[in-house]
Amino acid sequence: MSELASFPAAATNAAPPRSGPRSFAPQSGFSPWNDPSQAPIVRFDNVTKQFGDFVAVKSCTLDIYEREFFALLGPSGCGKSTLLRMLAGFEQPTDGRIMVQGQDITALPPYERSDVNMMFQSYALFPHMTVERNIGFGLRQEGMPKGEIAARVEEAMAMVELKPFANRKPNQLSGGQQQRVALARAIAKKPRIMLLDEPLGALDKKLRQQAQFELMRIQESTGTTFIIVTHDQEEAMTVASRIAVMDKGNIIQVATPNDIYETPKSRYVAGFIGDVNVLEGKVSGIADGIIDIEGAVSGCHYKTRSNEPVSIGQQVWLAIRPEKVRITHDKPQSATNVVSGKVDDVGYLGSISHYHVKIGNGQRVTALRANTAMTVGPPISWEDDVWMDWPTEAGIILTS
Amino acid sequence: MQTRFSWFNVTSIVLGFAFLYIPILLLIIYSFNESRLVTVWGGWSTKWYGSLLNNEQLLTAGWVTLRVAFISATFATILGTLAAIVLTRLGAFRGRTLFSGLVFAPLVMPEVITGLSLLLLFVAIGMDRGFWTITIAHITFSMCFAAVVVQSRLLDFDKSVEEAAMDLGATPVNSFFQVTLPIIAPAVISAWLLAFTLSLDDLVIASFTTGPGATTLPMKIYSQVRLGVTPEINAVSTIMIAFVTLGVLAASYVTKRSTMKAAADAQKAQ
Repeated sequence: MSELASFPAAATNAAPPRSGPRSFAPQSGFSPWNDPSQAPIVRFDNVTKQFGDFVAVKSCTLDIYEREFFALLGPSGCGKSTLLRMLAGFEQPTDGRIMVQGQDITALPPYERSDVNMMFQSYALFPHMTVERNIGFGLRQEGMPKGEIAARVEEAMAMVELKPFANRKPNQLSGGQQQRVALARAIAKKPRIMLLDEPLGALDKKLRQQAQFELMRIQESTGTTFIIVTHDQEEAMTVASRIAVMDKGNIIQVATPNDIYETPKSRYVAGFIGDVNVLEGKVSGIADGIIDIEGAVSGCHYKTRSNEPVSIGQQVWLAIRPEKVRITHDKPQSATNVVSGKVDDVGYLGSISHYHVKIGNGQRVTALRANTAMTVGPPISWEDDVWMDWPTEAGIILTS
Repeated sequence: MQTRFSWFNVTSIVLGFAFLYIPILLLIIYSFNESRLVTVWGGWSTKWYGSLLNNEQLLTAGWVTLRVAFISATFATILGTLAAIVLTRLGAFRGRTLFSGLVFAPLVMPEVITGLSLLLLFVAIGMDRGFWTITIAHITFSMCFAAVVVQSRLLDFDKSVEEAAMDLGATPVNSFFQVTLPIIAPAVISAWLLAFTLSLDDLVIASFTTGPGATTLPMKIYSQVRLGVTPEINAVSTIMIAFVTLGVLAASYVTKRSTMKAAADAQKAQ
């Protein structure tokens, strides 16, 4: 059967979404992390994990709040999975404490952490059990009465539309169906916190996008706190209420997708999330919240609005997103935030075009332009001499 | 792919199989010999199988052998499975290399040495030699074979399946019996059949560790052959060959069926 057809487009037989916080929409006002009266549901308190000499996680402190869809994002080997596995109980922290709802659970084995359930990257389905038995496994461990188990399994299967496959074994299912069994098996336990370790990594792109919305719908309708580990920045941006960007065992920045994109804290974060142009320079003046930068490329001056505490002469980097850079044939009126160069490469993607321009010091700066009919003037092409400029609000000052 | 028929291929197959099976075939054919003389063909008959039923000594030896094989295979499988789990699941614990060396050493140890050392041990601790000493000796030498079989299955087993069981609230013991054991069951059954077969036809170790009143079938046959081969021996050997063949076929069937079933299921999912 078709994967796509079997995937529910809308929440037809699950509970209707609550009118409460829409976790994936940062502008909706769901922000318990800004509310000092809120107690976090999960707290990593100075957690360190070493494997021999290798430090997988370096004294991480992190608060995650109820009903959040929290993403741990980073390249492979950055420690994000280790952090998740410590919360599930499969790894013991070398140092530090893990709290769930104010209770120290650091020493508890996985089978005594009833608030937490995990969905595995490999799905880890029990090959000798049917879909139904797989989903009911966790409930049978609790010693729940049979009738109640059947009802809960039914409910979980309905949520992910698996009913027609109740009596199949995992190896009689497609990848997308197996992924849903894994999800249903963990959700059937009704945990307060659901851990997802690269849950959609094995799916193809189209299916993955549908599954992302599926996860968001389930997260919302059950009111569960979801913590997802992923290396796919687009996935993190799509599903998460907040993202923690990790690198080499450290948490670099924790913020909403919007803040991560618009105000990254370092060149690493800026480069990891989306495309970015980074221009080097020195601070030459600070006045009225506007910082003047003397560019490393001779004759370039940048002005940018920022509250970043910098001092005159300090080396900084200016990060500008390609879609905020305007590209023209003619020299713009303004004298600041202007660079000139030669078009090195043009990437036509249909709806938008990327222009890679070589500037003075050989660095490439990328500008992005939507291909609307409104664009005036002759088209920009290879080897054209062009000017690029951006408003003072577009640049972000980075000091590291 | 169709391989071309060539005289070289056919000759090598015929020679190879002839080398392996002519002696056994001869033994089976002569077990149906009418004649009292083993080397003289006197026409077909099943009378030696009939007279076997009246041979109290051979029957007793056969019964002892089966009991030893059954008990030792069961214990060897349990111990071998435990050893395999420790070797694959505990990671790099202190002395792991030494432990795995010790588990697998009997695989390559000359049987005479194993037998002799066990005999010395039984004498030293003053244990009366007989049925139980043979059984213990057989557990010792077949356990490593069981461990090898189970370990190979555990190695290609997704460890996160056990983690998932524990995450869903199963204690390590429950997770072993509800998840791990059913998944490795084919390997455990193969291991048992292998241990059973090994015990069934062991002569050397049994000879060292036996005592009065506990004679296994291979020992009985060996001692009788020294006085001259009787057609009854041929008959009992044929029955043993049938037993061993069935054991080996069953073991390979169990493994093969589980892999074929998995492949068929995967096909159905498409």
